[in-house]
Order: sequence, then structure tokens, then C-alpha cells
Amino acid sequence: MTEAWINELRNIVGPRNVITGSDSLAWESDGFSLVRGQGIAIVLPLDTSETVRVMQLLAKEGVPLVPRGAGTGLTGGASPVQGGVTVGTARMRRIFGIDPIERTAHVQAGVVNSDLSLAAKPHGLFYAPDPSSQAACTLGGNVANNSGGPHCFMHGATTRHVRGLKLVDAQGEILDLLTSHADPAGLDLVGLISGSEGMFGVVTEINFRLEVLPEEIQTIIAVFSSLDAACDCVSEAIAAHIEASAIEILDKLTITAVEDSVFAAGYPRGAEAVLLVEAEGGALEVQETIDLVLQLAKKHEAIETRRASDGAERARLWAGRKGAFGAMGRVAPDLYVADVVAPRTRLREIVHLAVEIAAERNLRLGNVFHAGDGNLHPNIAYDRRDEDEVRRVLEAGRLIMEACIERGGSLTGEHGVGLEKMTHMCDLFDDDDLSVMHRVRDALDPKRRMNPTKVLPLRACREVRNAGLPLSPMASPEGKL
Amino acid sequence: MNSPATGARRLPLDYDLTLDCIHCGLCLNSCPTYRESGRESEGPRGRIHLMRALGEGRLEPDTDCVQALDSCLVCRNCETVCPAGVQFGALMESARNQLPAPGLVPRFLRWLGFRVVLPNRRVLALLAGVVRLAQTLHLPRLMAPLLGSRGATLASMPVFPPADQRRSLPSISPSTSESLETVTMLEGCIQRQLFGTVNRATAQTLNALGADVLTPADHACCGALHAHNGDLEEARQLAQETIQAFEAIDGSAPLPIVVNSAGCGAHMSEYPRLFADDPDWLARANAFSERVTDFSKFVAQPDRARRLQAQFKAGPERKLAWDDPCHLCHGQEISAEPRNLLDLIPAAKRVELASSQSCCGSAGIHALLHPEESNALLDAKIEEFQASGAELLVTANPGCQMHWQAGFQRANLKVQTQHLAETIADSLGRESPGGSPTSSPTKS
Repeated sequence: MTEAWINELRNIVGPRNVITGSDSLAWESDGFSLVRGQGIAIVLPLDTSETVRVMQLLAKEGVPLVPRGAGTGLTGGASPVQGGVTVGTARMRRIFGIDPIERTAHVQAGVVNSDLSLAAKPHGLFYAPDPSSQAACTLGGNVANNSGGPHCFMHGATTRHVRGLKLVDAQGEILDLLTSHADPAGLDLVGLISGSEGMFGVVTEINFRLEVLPEEIQTIIAVFSSLDAACDCVSEAIAAHIEASAIEILDKLTITAVEDSVFAAGYPRGAEAVLLVEAEGGALEVQETIDLVLQLAKKHEAIETRRASDGAERARLWAGRKGAFGAMGRVAPDLYVADVVAPRTRLREIVHLAVEIAAERNLRLGNVFHAGDGNLHPNIAYDRRDEDEVRRVLEAGRLIMEACIERGGSLTGEHGVGLEKMTHMCDLFDDDDLSVMHRVRDALDPKRRMNPTKVLPLRACREVRNAGLPLSPMASPEGKL
Repeated sequence: MNSPATGARRLPLDYDLTLDCIHCGLCLNSCPTYRESGRESEGPRGRIHLMRALGEGRLEPDTDCVQALDSCLVCRNCETVCPAGVQFGALMESARNQLPAPGLVPRFLRWLGFRVVLPNRRVLALLAGVVRLAQTLHLPRLMAPLLGSRGATLASMPVFPPADQRRSLPSISPSTSESLETVTMLEGCIQRQLFGTVNRATAQTLNALGADVLTPADHACCGALHAHNGDLEEARQLAQETIQAFEAIDGSAPLPIVVNSAGCGAHMSEYPRLFADDPDWLARANAFSERVTDFSKFVAQPDRARRLQAQFKAGPERKLAWDDPCHLCHGQEISAEPRNLLDLIPAAKRVELASSQSCCGSAGIHALLHPEESNALLDAKIEEFQASGAELLVTANPGCQMHWQAGFQRANLKVQTQHLAETIADSLGRESPGGSPTSSPTKS
């Protein structure tokens, strides 16, 4: 039976683009390597029409599936734990066109984030959301997770840049919302689909808003002798309504890892914290912003402040920041990248708490975060072969998340819910809220074949809470579920 | 810890190297085979994941898995972008050492090439002579249709130059200006037979800046191709022979070893890792690898570059493009030096290619084993080259030079391909100017 529809898939996309052999192990997890799963096949369609035929076939056969971009997500959202089929967009790499007058771009979902800015540059434009994985992650994946990035402090996360899109739903029907207009007519279905983590279908094409390359960009780093001082400096800058485009903090362990890597950026080794601030816009306003940062850095006793002297140095500073997750591979074989949101006035308190929680459990914690947005990434280095360490890591992750929610924060800033945080949805919503979400999901995918077992807990919150740690059964070294 | 889930045999590859990868995926888009196929199993992260599973005994090295690893170009572009510092080249070599070669024909060709031809200077020279004769008689073109898909490879095979260009350099090539230093130089295996003009241009350049150049009389091959394809036993043997050959021609002090082939240079500077378990040879390999220096890096040193620049002759302006050999820019982190040197040449107008640091598809013997995939990579680059308006392609590795030549020929383009040393020697007034042999052998 299975063999028959697999062959049919091969007819649709070509035999090389259906993977069923031992090499399919390469897709067993995404950037969240604790969760792994093996489905029946991986399918790589080339465009919308192939995707339609694939999805119609899978609907006919009742096969569950997970959409996947480059598999750089950090919550297990693109892992094939549901079995079935992985529908990947990695071959959909066409940029159909850039309209320099409308300042929009029409792209396929598998276009790599940084490739869009590269293509827009000759027109004096760029695509603003810049997740750290932007050199590899796909724009379709960005839409699914409503991805952020350092510069989303000023420009907002992905949804604010999606003008229109084309979705192939679970039944293989095209929902064509591919407009380039700013305001949707009728219900805002584009808004609904953005950030839906693959629950409504596969997004195959997107129309994005592009931004004008700023006249002036300035980047400064301020070095602090404590993480507290750096956090306080940011909290005060926020209170002073700072108009920066990005505000980032890196701590000592992260700085060391980055400086040891190919992305060595010139962050001073040994410093307890580095604050990286960028301002863009007209020369005068940029100067005002930078002056404000310098003044606050001085007030909070920064040891050193430095301005990037040219574009090359600025690029180095950012490459270092964006390579920070990967650089932590120098510390241990695996990395747990937490993604939580804290009220921006309480940065110091939450960061403190994260440090304490990790220390109590004898874990190596590196902090690198979008301080301006209050979006924290406590990164815990570990070895997944050590079962007890895995347990401690997940426990620490959970406690940090709960602490943020208690203080009015949120459980995800930009990585999505995926599998990792599914049960924690109950910390933020009650059964009534979740049932509304389920009803929306059922309207678009009544059989719940799209990325099932993720995002929305299937059981009532009371049961979910009693079930304990969601990930412990999946965290065996073999990744067996 | 790390108990295998299935009963598969754990492959004794360099398992610890796989643990450096934390699966962030930043490498994906740097990988030519991933970009081309969209298959994560053919991207660096996926391949490391498969190797780790092999090392844990979670995976059998069956055809699908072996093919995913075998399709790797080992261009090491992923190393340049890897924040975690995964030593991908070393890892792939150790994995390939443990894997069965897929199919009988490739296995036979590898045995013939690696164990019979390359390690033996005389066999290689004899073979080059025979191929040259056959090419003069147009035999490959006549035979190609009989061989089906492999025939295309035969027809686009590089043309071997006449015998006088295949002869070795003299054991000493004296400096042509005031003698300031003495260096040794690697002639290589393929380089010597196919691109003797490159070796002569290299020696001429070194001579011009005041260096006496010594070459070992009976050295065959450094073993780079062997290592990249996992034949680590033969690679070790050839590394020992190479170290001995160069130690033998040293004077009272060890001399620099100038290498004009990027693949050889990258490999020779990493000899120590072949001898991790052999303290005596490890010490010799360490001393040896420290002396290895790429031609461009050696010449671009400011004093030498200045001496060279003073001798450059003016000529008609030529628009040229530099294509980084992967094992120069990714393997040895050398990318500024060749550009700086080309920019010193008065007649050269250099254009930058956006894809210059992405593999041309030559990749050792990859172009022979996977001609279609390999040509697809090159065709995209040729398109960019054409759009740039350049008329000369400069690179610094025999495999790349061969592959570009064949590509230009396939596309019916009258474009020259040169090694950096040839471009430099031309502006010094090389005696027999012109690129490497793109012309028909009957005319020479």
C-alpha cells in the first residue's frame, strides 16, 4: 500500500526528490536535537503545483505530515515525530521578482533569508528580519515561526513584513492570498497563517515588504564588568525611549566561544558582558541615539565603549553575534537554546535567576539575547549522551520559562512553540483559550494531519500539568520516541 | 552512555570529531551539493549526523548512506562558516576510510589510480605519454561513443601536452637576479604531467624574486587525493616518502617548501594528523608541515612582492577573474594574497566573481566519478564568468584548472585558463606565453 503512494510521489517530484532510505536519518531532527523521529519519506517539491499534487495525494492516503524549511528551528517544530511524510521546501529557491517601487519581493518559500537581502541590495533595499540563522534558514520557515532577530527591535518580527502568501492546505487546495497591498481585505488570513507553525498547510510563496537601506548606520559596543550593569543600562535605555535598531547582550562564556571561532569579532575576552547597540536612519537621529547609549553606558560604569569604524567591522560584530549559538559547540556537543520573554524593566532579575537556576544544577550557561525586546536566550551547553544532564537541562529550561511567565513575560519570543513548549501553552492559556485555537485549526485541517502533536496540547491542561516534563521520554540517547 | 540502538557495527571513524557539531545548520547554504539538491543528507550537517550515527552503530553503511557521504566534494566551504569549528575535512577522510566504495568500476578506478599510477613517477609518466599519443591520433573522440555516458568524460579529458612540457624541472633552478634565498618546490604528480608549464612558471617567478629553487629528484605524489578519498594507508606511505624526499635536499637548515597546487598544499600542511599514533613520524610531520607555504602566500610577502612588481612589464590590458581553489581559501584560509598579486600586474584588470569561493565541481576525482553533478556546479560559474566580461580565468590548482578548461571547451568558449604563476610569469615576459593547453594537440 505504502509503496504504491510512495511511487506516486516519485512520479510527481522525480525519484531523486523522494528520500526513503537510510539517508533520511539526516532529517530526523531540526535544530532542537533532543527530539528525533523517523517518518516514511521526505519529499522535496519544486514549486506550488508540485506541492499541490503531493498534498492531494497525502490527503487521499490520510498521511500526516510536517512542513520543513532548512531545519534550523529550535523547538522541534520541523521534526518528523508524527511519522508520515516531511514536505521540504529546500528546492523552492526562486526569487520571482523584486519591485523596487512598491518595495516588495515575491519569493518561493525555500529562499534563504540572507539571499533576499542580497538580491534587494542593488535596489537600495533590504529585508529587515534577521534571525541568527539567516545565512541558512528559509523565509517559509520564518513565516511559520514568526521569526525575529536582532533588528526586529526596530522593524518588528516576520509577520509585520508579510504582505501576502500562497498556502497549499492539508487537502491540497491553494489558498491564494498573494497580494502586495498593505492592508488585507476581509478577514486577515495572512495574519492567521503567519506564525501558525505548519498547522494550516505548506506556505509555498510569499510577498514580503522590503525596507529602504538607511542613510546612516552606527554600531557601538560597550563592555561591562557585570551582566547586571549591562542589563540595567538596557532597561534604562528602554525607559528613555531609545530609538535604536538593535540592542543585544552577550555574556562571558558566549564571548569566549565566539572569539575562539571563525567568527571572532573582537569582543574583549574576559569581559563579563558586552552590549551591542546599533542605530540606523538619518545622520542626526543616529547620532542622538548613539550619544544617549554612550551617556547611559558611562552612567552604568562601562569599562570601555567603542564605535565600529567601518562597514567591515560592523559586519564582523554582527557575524560574531549571529554565530554565537553555533560557537557554543566549542563548549559541549549539544546546546539547549531557551527562548523566553521577560518584561524589559526586569531584565536583570530574570537573567540573575537563569544564572542561579543553571548553577544550582551544575550546568554551563551562556547568555546571549535581544535585550531590547526582553527576549532572552539562556543557552545551556550539554551532552545528550548524559541522561542526567539532559534531565537537568530540561528542568532548568522549564523553571526559567515559568519564572518569565510569572513575571508577566512569555514562553517564546521568536522560536515558536513546536514540541518543546507545547505543554507550557497551559501556563499561558486556559482550556477555553486553547479550545478556540483548536477550532481554528480544525476549520483549516479537520483531520489534524498537519504537523500534529505540536503547538497545541491535545489533552486538557489539568492532565497536561500532571503528566510532568513533556520531553523526558523522548530524551533517551537513541532519540527513540 | 551512547549505547547503540540497533545491532549495527560501530564504524571506527573519528567519532569525537562529530561531537563538535551542535546541529545549528549555519553550514547548509555554504554547501554546493545541498544548494543543488536541497537534500539535507547532502549537506554538511546531515553528513555529520550520518557519520555520528555510523559511529554509534545506529546506522548501517548501506548504499543510500554511502552515496550521501560519497557525493561530498570535500571542498571544506562548511569549515569556513562553522562557528563550532568542526574539522569536516578530517572527519570525512576518516569516514571514507571506513566505507566501502560504491560500485565496482569506481573501486577499480580508485585502485588503479591511487595504488598503481599516482605513487609511481615512471608509471604516471608512461601513462601520460600513451594518452598523449592516443590524443594525437584522436582515439578518445573516436572511442567516446562506444562508452555511453562515460564516453563524455573521455572526450572532455584534458589534453596532455607534448613531452618537452612534461619533463621535470632541473634539481636546481638558479635565481635570475641577485640570489637572496633558497627554497624547495613541489612539482606534484598530475601537475608535472599535465601542467609542466605551471611548474616552470612557478620556478621562473621564484627565480625572478631572487630565490634558488630546489626540487627533489625522485618524488612522486604527496597523497592528497588518497587522503580525500579515504585511502589513509597509502596516504601515510606517500606522506613519509614526501617528507623523506624533502628532508634529503635540505641544506644545513630546513628550507621553505613552496607548493603551487592548493590541494597538495592544504594536505601537506595537515600531514601531522596522519601520524597521531606514531610519535617519531608525528615530530617529522610537524616540522615538515610548518615549512609548507602556498606559492601565493610566499610571493605576496611585501619584500618579495615589491621585487616582483619592479620587474613587471606593461602589456595590453586583460580582464581576468580569480577563482579561489577551495583548498586554498577554505583549506588554508588564503584568499587575499592571490588577489593582491594579480592587482599588482599592470596589464591585469581583475573582476570579482560572487561565486569565487564556491567549488567549481572538480573536487579531486569527483569530476571523474560524478560528471553530471560536477558539470552542473561549473556551468553556473561559467555563466557568471561570461557575464563578467573577463577573458582569462586564473586559479591555482591542477584539478580546478583542468575542470575549467573542459567546461569552457564544452561551452565552446575561447577563454584561457591559467595558474596564478603563469599569469605572473607572463607579465615577467615568459618565453612561451599563453595559457595551458586548450589547443588541439595536433597543432603543437
